[in-house]
Amino acid sequence: MGRAVYKVKGGKMIKVQLDQREGKIKKVKIMGDFFLHPEDLIEEMEKALTGSPVNEENIRILIDNFLSERGGVLLGASSSDIAKCIVMAGDQE
Amino acid sequence: MRERWRLLDTGASDAYYNMALDEAIATARSKNLVPNTIRFFRWKPSAVSIGYFQSMTEEVDVDACRSMGVDYVRRITGGGAVYHDYNGELTYSIMVNEDHKMIPRDILKSYGVLCKGLVLGLKSLGIPAEFKPINDIVVEGKKISGNAQTRRLGVVHQHGTILREVNPKVMFSLLKVPSEKIRDKLIKSVEERVTSINKYLGREVSFDELKRALIRGFEDALNIELVEGEVTEYEERLASELKEKYSSEEWNFKR
Repeated sequence: MGRAVYKVKGGKMIKVQLDQREGKIKKVKIMGDFFLHPEDLIEEMEKALTGSPVNEENIRILIDNFLSERGGVLLGASSSDIAKCIVMAGDQE
Repeated sequence: MRERWRLLDTGASDAYYNMALDEAIATARSKNLVPNTIRFFRWKPSAVSIGYFQSMTEEVDVDACRSMGVDYVRRITGGGAVYHDYNGELTYSIMVNEDHKMIPRDILKSYGVLCKGLVLGLKSLGIPAEFKPINDIVVEGKKISGNAQTRRLGVVHQHGTILREVNPKVMFSLLKVPSEKIRDKLIKSVEERVTSINKYLGREVSFDELKRALIRGFEDALNIELVEGEVTEYEERLASELKEKYSSEEWNFKR
């Protein structure tokens, strides 16, 4: 399992745990002191990333699409911050 | 005439009841069973709360909490881990309808509107407080209050801390640190970045004096009149149900 911590400019912290298989996300857990509204979207968002290549641009687009589809709002961390942290966790594996 | 909101002072309770009552009030508000509400409370025993998206085992030294008799609980709101000291902290919560004319749709802006009550209250004590987005209040650059908001069932539910005293040593004995080597460094950095009412003013401000100041602050910031009220039977019953959730391992360790 890969782990990474990424400090967003301005102070919030993202922590990721990543299981990948053949360069694709098998399971990802996105933790930290950011805000996502509504909160219970986080589990679905993690699921929506399953199967995606561990690639920053891919992951960012998936997150953006998921949020706009579900009316989710991130605060204190952006989709690209989260994507960056997931890729960092992939590199740690 | 100013709009009337309910003021609750629910005193000191354990972490599980505190979080359960907050959610119960927000639910009651969403069903229109109670007016818009501002609540003050404290934590007995002292407690650590973590944000909705945090991992309990990553952030909190659970064994240290147990041995010091400190509660630990996951909040319904995002944000970071907080040490709520019984003597050091006053906590507030606000439950207001999302479509209230004072509440911007934009979450970031609404932090500013609701935090203005705290800012005005602190200013009336002689503390030049300022709102610092996203969710902090600072004095001369040092944090004195942290806030977190959720929106559920058409209700804005914001809670936050106001530091009367600050003790980073105790705080870091309860929170996980990346390594023992940097524990002292972290303590020092919090001492530099965080302040408290008593520290800033160099005198002891009682909880009563602080509450009175914040009540006036909220009244002026939101153009309301706060009227002392009671927790309803519905809220009390729902809170005792929700307390089971907040004290469960399933909830507290779910991430």
